[in-house]
Parts: sequence; structure tokens; C-alpha cells
Amino acid sequence: MTFSSSYLFSLTTFIYMGAAALYLTHWIFRVQKVGLLATVVTVGGFVIQTVGIGLRWIESYQLGYGHAPLSNLYESLVFFSWVTVLVYLIIEWQVKQRVIGAFATPFASLAMAYASFSPNIEDKIQPLIPALKSNWLIIHVITCFLGYASFAVACGLGIMYLIKNRFSGGSAGMMGVIPDCKVLDELIHQTIIFGFLWLTLGIITGAIWANDAWGTYWSWDPKETWSLITWFVYATALHARFVRGWAGRRIAYLAIVGFVSVMFTYFGVNFLLSGLHSYGSQ
Amino acid sequence: MKASSSTYQDTSIWRFFSSVRLAVFLLITLAITSIIGTVIPQGESLHLYLETYGPTFFRIIKVLHLNDTYHSWWYLILLGLFSTNLVVCTLRRLPFTLKLCRRDNLSVDSGRLLKMPFKKDWEIKEELDNDSTQSIISTFKRVAGKFHERADVDGGRLFLAERGKWSYWGVYGLHGSILIIFFGALVGLFLGFKGSVMLPEGETIDHIVNRQTQENIPLGFSVRCDRFKISFYDNGAPKEYRSDLTVLNNDKEVFHKSIVVNDPMEYKGVTFYQASYRAIPEVTVQVAKSGTPQRSLTISAFQKALWPEEQLSFGLMQYMPDVHGMPAAQIWIGDQEGRSGNFWLLKGKEKEFQQGENLYRISLSNAKQRYLTGLQVKKDPGVWIVWLGCTVLIVGFTMVFWVPHRRMWLWIGRRKGKTIVILSGQTNKNKLQFEKNIRKIEEALNSSLGARQ
Repeated sequence: MTFSSSYLFSLTTFIYMGAAALYLTHWIFRVQKVGLLATVVTVGGFVIQTVGIGLRWIESYQLGYGHAPLSNLYESLVFFSWVTVLVYLIIEWQVKQRVIGAFATPFASLAMAYASFSPNIEDKIQPLIPALKSNWLIIHVITCFLGYASFAVACGLGIMYLIKNRFSGGSAGMMGVIPDCKVLDELIHQTIIFGFLWLTLGIITGAIWANDAWGTYWSWDPKETWSLITWFVYATALHARFVRGWAGRRIAYLAIVGFVSVMFTYFGVNFLLSGLHSYGSQ
Repeated sequence: MKASSSTYQDTSIWRFFSSVRLAVFLLITLAITSIIGTVIPQGESLHLYLETYGPTFFRIIKVLHLNDTYHSWWYLILLGLFSTNLVVCTLRRLPFTLKLCRRDNLSVDSGRLLKMPFKKDWEIKEELDNDSTQSIISTFKRVAGKFHERADVDGGRLFLAERGKWSYWGVYGLHGSILIIFFGALVGLFLGFKGSVMLPEGETIDHIVNRQTQENIPLGFSVRCDRFKISFYDNGAPKEYRSDLTVLNNDKEVFHKSIVVNDPMEYKGVTFYQASYRAIPEVTVQVAKSGTPQRSLTISAFQKALWPEEQLSFGLMQYMPDVHGMPAAQIWIGDQEGRSGNFWLLKGKEKEFQQGENLYRISLSNAKQRYLTGLQVKKDPGVWIVWLGCTVLIVGFTMVFWVPHRRMWLWIGRRKGKTIVILSGQTNKNKLQFEKNIRKIEEALNSSLGARQ
């Protein structure tokens, strides 16, 4: 079993870590060719990971379970890193700024490293428990993770903004290659808008599913409540632009705080709080 | 604004409730306070909080209703303020939007056009003939789309292609949708119910138990559980919980449905969900008084079985499905005088027992699990309002952030013996795409007019 999905995912982990290192090198030493290489490596990793996800789906059918690879923590981490890379590559292609990669790809490689190396994460393909047997599973997970991944990128952009803002004096060297604060602010805003739409859709599809499965579209389960808290944070970020003195730095902070909230919704709720979404912790 | 001309819109309280600052404050407050209910367990009995948190913190929990945070008075006040903020914002913004939508974008002069974010003008020495003018207009139309025309503006012809003006209404949809969702939730709260029932196989119910008040809610019809079945994967994990239900109206069967998790049954606005199950053991014993024929009795857990001829009651105290490969049951026996005793019975081994003056023989002939299906039952007439609100929310959001209001003007006129052509435009979002489009017109006009400048 060399050509299995888990083999491809291990490979992806190393490729993404390499890509993150290349993006960082590109930023620190400002060598254009390294940046191009970073993009090529990332795209290569993305293709391998995509094949891996498809393969895992097929393997689940071969085992007789037959479900999309979105059913437990391991699979969700793989998917999270996949979507993060996708969202990042779209942004890189749109704004032609490779420096952002130094702040975005680490999220994807960390997620893969966590999935691959943590001893507590079950990476076997398991059958679906009755609660997860629904067409809403795929839609709900995809919408949520499109949101999560966008917010990861927005967080990276927020960190860039704060670095640039703090060392604004240096327009040369490492600071010089970071886009202007104005450009970053606009990028953060656009990324948050995109993520917010998907988070909202994720909450709505979750509500529809819960209404089908548990008989109530909202039960203040910790996972639900934390997704709402995250929603409040990003709604704040979207409105803060209209408040004098809030645009720029404070929104960059909100992009980071928002992502902390996303992370808590994703992991914290599973490990620290109990609730209906506990299957996410296995 | 002077005091005399100030309307109700300018009172300070009105301004307070319509401010974005308040919205930001409320969103942050809601985000922070919502954490409380995820840390403190919700809906437990009060003495449990006293035990866990001690008397001081318990008092805070009680006053602030932290055992039911999201329905506490202060959380509802926050949501009320949030709604007020939304309504007042909407009302305050409305006149501006109406003005924006009623504004006649054709009543601009050529000077204004030259102050737009995107502009380009050409000066041509000679007068344009009809054909060249038409070709300019059709170039404009090809990229800009449908347009309106006004003659004699500043001594020239003015063309306006405007798109997406309606997108200004998106924000009302977006904000209104939150209120629609709140309204739907209230409808469900006041006109619906949530309850549950444990229904043994083969039995029928005509009411359920309210989850909050523990009161009985009559259904107006009956539901019978014909069968409950649980199946497993090879690795032992549960695969499916299935209840075969029958709806009865005045003892007449009207509807069958087999429900599983994620596939509930709905009848007359009431929905039944597969939520849980319980298995209770049930044993069948053969009893006989010496000299009389054998009799079969079925004893369920938690229920006494009666042997009427002998005035004896039987109960099942314990059940073990596998004792040396055989099921075993601890049977309780009592008579009318209040005398009772118990003993273990292993399948395949007959036992004798004395009760009063009589001697009896008893044997365990059959043992099985009897299932109770746990159903979640709810009625929520507000759920469609909530879905409507969600739809409006998404549509409104898309309008606000992705539908631009864009205007492109073209002016063709004569000044000081020269022909002047002005192209200008403005958009409120997606400037990049807009610039691309207007550059397309510019280039086309450049190639047709450039030579004649």
C-alpha cells in the first residue's frame, strides 16, 4: 500500500512545509526565483493532496462505507489545509503578491502536520455514525471550511498589516516587499467578506441539518454558539470600517482575534467543551 | 442644522440608536457574553450549580440566569437593543437611499463629468458626421450596455448607462433578515412546542411530554411504534437506528413511515425524530402448580406480571444474557399477603419454589430484548420564516458586497468650433473590473477618434 491516500497526505505535509519555508525565504532574501519555486511547489502539493482526497473517497467505498472524506478530525484537517491553499493560490493569482504566501501556507502545513503526526488523531477510514448520514454533511463541511480557510488567510494578512504598520519607516528590504497598508487593509476586508459569506452559509446549512436531525435548528450547543461568536467578531470587522479610527490597525487585530475564535470553534469546543458535535474530536 | 428645522431624526437618542458605533459595541458585547453559556453548563438543576461553584458564584449565576444564559433577561435586552439598532439604522438610512435612487443621473453637466474618478476626453477639430457619431455611440453601447439619452445638455448629447442601482436595497435585506429570523424564532417559541416520548414497541401514544414544563401535550392523533431496529457495522459501531411508526386517527391507520436519524416523520405540522432508544429485557417463564397444567407468563423489566389464577405477581429484578452460554434471570415473586421472595433462574434448568402452602415449578423458556424508541417531537410553525430570513440574508449580503452600482457617461458636443467627446464613469465597488470595461471603450474610441484629433 504505497500509493494510498495516507501516503499522499504524508507527502503533502512535507511539500507544504517546504513551500512555507520557500515563501519565507522568498520574503527574507527577496529572491524572485525562490518565490516562483514556492508557488510551483505549493501547486504541486495541492495537486497531490487533491488526488489524495479523491483516493481516500474511493478507499472508503472499497471498505464498504462509502462516504466523503469529511467525517472526522483527521479528514477535516486535511480538508482545511486543502481549502486554505486553494484560497491562498486564488489570492496570489489575483494580486500577484507572493509574500502573502509566507503568512498563509504555514497554516496549511501546520494543519497537515497536526493531522499526520499527532498520536491522538485517528487516521483510519471509519464508517459514518447515524447522525452524520446526511447529504448535508458535505455541504455543511465545505461551506464551513471555506469560511475557516478564508479567515486563516485574513489572519495572515492581519499579521502582515501589523508588521508593516509597526516598521512603517523601512520601505526597503523585508518591509519593502510587503504590500502597502492600504492594499493590505483592502485585502483583509475582501477576504473577510468572502469568509463571512461562507461562515454564514455554514451556520445556515448547519441549522437546516440540525432541524432535520435533532428537531431544532438552533440549540445553543457550544459548537453552534462559538460559530455565532465568530460570526459576531467578523460582523464587527465589517462594520468597524465605518467607524472613525477603527479602519486599518483595529481591523487587522479583529482579523487575528476572529481567527482565534475560529480555532476555538474548530478545536477548543471539541476538546474542552462537551456537546452534540463531539464526533469532531475523534 | 438649525433647531427649528430639526426633525425627529436629530434627537440625540435617535442618533445614539442609529450609530454604527452602537452596532460595533453590541456585536462585541454579544460575542463576549455568549462565551459564558459555553463555559457554564446550561439547563442543569440549581443545586448542582451551588455544589460546583460555591455560594458566592451561585448567587451571581442565579441573578444573571447564567444557567440559561441565552434566555436570560440581560441577553434578551442585548438582542432587543441589537434589533432596535437595526430598525433605527434602517429608518435613518431610508431617506438617503430613496434620494439616491430617485436622483437623475442624466442631469449633470460636462464639467462634472470631467471630475469623475474615471474620465477621458477627446477634442476633434472638424464636425462629426452622423455616421461617426453613430459609431461612437454603438462602441459605447457595446461595452456599457443599455443606455438613456438626453439631448441638449450643455449644448451636446449626453448618454448614460447605469447598472445595479437597486443594489442599494441589499443592505435593507441584509439587516431586515436578522429581524425576520428573530421573528421566526418567536413564532416557534409561542406557537410551537418541543417534547419527547419513550415509546415501547407495539404501543401507542396520543400525547407527548413537553421538554421544559414536563406537561403532557395532546397530539390530536395517535402514534404507534410497530418495530425498532438497530443495526451495526462489522466493527461494532452503530449503523442505523430505525423505528417503524404508524399514525392513527380515531383508531384508523392513516400513515406509515419508517424513520431514521436525519429522516424524520411529519404529520399535521408535528415532526417526529429518531433521537434515542432503550432496550429492556423481557423473559417468558413457564409456571405450574403441582398437578395443574403449565402456563406461560411474560415478564418485562419495570413491570409486574400477574398470574391471576394463583394471585401471584412476578417481577424481573436482574437479567444476564449470557451465563455459561445461557440467559439467566433473577425473578421476584409476591403474593397478596405481602410475602415475597426471589431466586435466579437459568434457562434449561427447572426450579421449584414454595409460596404459602403451595409448591410451584418454574422454568425460563425465552428471553429477549424489548426496545423502546426515544422520539423527539416538535412543532415549529416559525421555521419557514427563519429559512426565509436566511435566504434574504444571503441575497442581501451578495447585493451589498458584490453587486456594484456603476454609471458610465458619454457626452458629445461642440465647443469653440471643436467637437468634444467625454467618457467618464463611477462605480461603488469592484473598481478593477469597472476600469477594465471603461478602458475597453477608451481604446476603441482612441482608435477611431485618435487620428482626427
